[in-house]
Amino acid sequence: MQGPLIDTLARRGVTRRTFLKYCATLASMMALPPSVGRAMAEAMAAAKRPSVIWLPFQECTGCTESITRSHSPTIEGMIFDMVSLDYQETLMAAAGHQAEEARHAAMKENHGKYLLIVDGSIPLGIDGAYSCIGGRSNLDILKEAAEGAAAIVAMGSCASFGGIPKANPNPTGAVSVSDIVKDKPIVNIPGCPPIPVVMTGVLAHYLTFGSLPELDAQGRPKAFFGETIHDRCYRRPFYDQGKFAKTFDDEGARQGWCLFELGCKGPVTHNACATVKWNGGTSWPVESGHGCIGCSEPDFWDGGGFYKALSVPADPLKIGAAAAVAGAAAGVAVSFANRAKKKAAKAAHETTTLDDLEK
Amino acid sequence: MSLDAIPIHLIPPGEPGLTGNAPPLLHELLEMVNRLLASGETAAIDLSALPLTPADLDWLRERLGEGEIAVTLLANGESTLAETGCPGIWWVTHHNEQGVVTSQFLEVAFVPELVKAHPDDVALGRDHLESMMADL
Amino acid sequence: MNELQFLTWVRGPGLDIAVGIFLLGVLWRLIEIYSLGRKKDLAAPRHAAGASGLHTVFRRSLPPQGMLKRSPVSYIGGYIFHIGLAIVVFGFAPHILLIKNLTGLSWPALPSQFVDMVAVVTMAAMVVVLVDRINKPVKRFLSTFEDWFTWAVTFLPVLTGWMAVQHLLLPYTTMLALHILSVEILLVVLPFTKLFHAFTLFGSRWYNGRINARRGVPV
Ligand code: HEM
Ligand code: HEM
Ligand code: SF4
Ligand code: SF4
Repeated sequence: MQGPLIDTLARRGVTRRTFLKYCATLASMMALPPSVGRAMAEAMAAAKRPSVIWLPFQECTGCTESITRSHSPTIEGMIFDMVSLDYQETLMAAAGHQAEEARHAAMKENHGKYLLIVDGSIPLGIDGAYSCIGGRSNLDILKEAAEGAAAIVAMGSCASFGGIPKANPNPTGAVSVSDIVKDKPIVNIPGCPPIPVVMTGVLAHYLTFGSLPELDAQGRPKAFFGETIHDRCYRRPFYDQGKFAKTFDDEGARQGWCLFELGCKGPVTHNACATVKWNGGTSWPVESGHGCIGCSEPDFWDGGGFYKALSVPADPLKIGAAAAVAGAAAGVAVSFANRAKKKAAKAAHETTTLDDLEK
Repeated sequence: MSLDAIPIHLIPPGEPGLTGNAPPLLHELLEMVNRLLASGETAAIDLSALPLTPADLDWLRERLGEGEIAVTLLANGESTLAETGCPGIWWVTHHNEQGVVTSQFLEVAFVPELVKAHPDDVALGRDHLESMMADL
Repeated sequence: MNELQFLTWVRGPGLDIAVGIFLLGVLWRLIEIYSLGRKKDLAAPRHAAGASGLHTVFRRSLPPQGMLKRSPVSYIGGYIFHIGLAIVVFGFAPHILLIKNLTGLSWPALPSQFVDMVAVVTMAAMVVVLVDRINKPVKRFLSTFEDWFTWAVTFLPVLTGWMAVQHLLLPYTTMLALHILSVEILLVVLPFTKLFHAFTLFGSRWYNGRINARRGVPV
């Protein structure tokens, strides 16, 4: 099982040319020069399968579904199989104590070398009791596993930023991986769910160069999260012309106009949906007629409503009416005060000085 | 009611024309071809990474013309490696299984990298041939 | 606070507070000014051609004889940037959407590219007006902190809005949040500074014209 990757691929019927082609496309998607595609293929073909431990915490398994469920056995899926996945609750055959042992064995054997993948957030409320595996809290398990990891991949918005569990009022006290682990390289692959090719891109980069790709301020690979949905959106010309769909089935919606007024968060969302698309390049949310909900940004769940345009108030204005009444009352009160002052000044025969006029 | 009954008119957002990004590529290609002739060094341009409109690509394709040989590779979707009217310049298009173009390159080489058989694969082929002959 | 939380705050509680203070201030000041009152003028009204409130509103909106030549920047620059502000605030799709959300009124938007150009012209005109204020000794002498402050408070929303659209300096999300924050500062400041002229200017011109018209003087 520990031979070079290309042998394992060959056993699964993936030819070298298929692999070369895949690497060329992957490099192109990651905005790397074509020569790197070839280097990537060579390095990956010869690479030993790295040990990977995948820890699922407070999550919905959507991320795992995104990566592993494709209609046809894609290379993404296969590359993923190519890593030595030593612990993944959903996919592994072992269960219970056996599974725990497998994890410990892998951690010990590959100490300092394994890649740790985390999906799901980590609840800190009531000492982490909201999510436990084998009687131990997620926090405990994460700290232990992170200690011997070479690098950590936070898969999905929950592991990257806290995601839906962290949404207001965050009942479980959920936090992200980077809130807890401070001393290891962490790459965030947010998205709800994340795009599969981003995952393989990061793995390919790691296998080829032995390092994580370049990251943005939020810890996301720049190659995939460098630009906003809005900047790459094919509906953008309609935005610029001021042509907006007002409802989901009006004339504008049928003509494919911009979805800004229907709450599209594309302008503030960094992700690769508009270029990479979903389901083998079939389509993507905006193409199917729904605005982007901003799933790859921190706290997207509390961004003021999925169907509210970015430029309108996130909450209903509550103090407006009260403020207007208070303002009117203040005006009336001040006018009474002014009149009283005038009357007093008149009674006292006060004169107006130059200073008064300059006030 | 079938979905087809709902009228959907797709209006392409103002058919983008030429951006002027294509002509400089010809200069780059010339440079690459010179290097290929001088030292045998191969090179490639990633067309999907450049801001080229469909009109730009058509312009390029028209300029470069069609050559005499085209290779079709069936691996995880179809790929075509077609020689252009300028020998040594290949237009490489990769499709996925759904037929969507996943990447596109202009490769400058005597034979594109993908077409050549890898020595390891040739060795495997030899082993196969030998075992086949032994069975005869 | 991350950038999206910042944006959500300025779109939510921040906007709420700013609009609240704005409404409070506007009503307060309008009622206060109106209720100042005046003694009744018991003299018989006189009449003169061209003397009325409405006449004065128009007359004072145009430069008096010779003034356009003496301070062209104040007139031309002033008109350009005020018209520019109006076009940007009332002609840009996201702004109309906000107005629609707050008041229910809406109208067709101008193309973004046009608004973009107007924003640049507006900023240029505002810079020219500022330079004029600094260069002309009389204007500089008359200027107080308030004049510089209100210029900045008016300029910032245009600058940040334009920079957000152009993706300059900061990530779009942060710039957009700063844009909305700068507008909120403008809203808070407007009722309590000379920017209140947006509400009082025509009223005071009409009032001056009316008072003087009664005395038979076209002003
Ligand atoms: C709370 C009120 C406001 C909100 C929510 C708001 C929102 C926005 C948004 C979302 C954009 C960017 C749209 C895009 O990316 O294409 C924008 C742009 C802009 N805004 Fe505002 N805005 C407000 C008030 C104002 C005001 C009062 C001014 C002027 C004094 C202003 C001046 C601008 C300008 C100049 C641009 C750039 C236009 C361009 O270059 O195309 N905004 N605003
Ligand atoms: C109906 C609306 C408005 C009218 C008729 C109007 C008219 C005027 C006039 C006549 C002046 C010249 C007076 C002077 O130099 O002090 C002026 C100056 C000014 N106005 Fe307005 N204004 C309006 C709305 C606004 C608004 C909404 C803003 C801010 C967002 C604004 C910002 C300014 C500024 C900053 C100056 C000073 C320019 C300088 O530095 O010379 N105005 N306005
Ligand atoms: S649909 Fe969304 S992402 Fe596309 S142009 Fe409109 S606002 Fe931008
Ligand atoms: S379009 Fe937006 S909300 Fe939808 S998957 Fe992409 S980033 Fe997430």
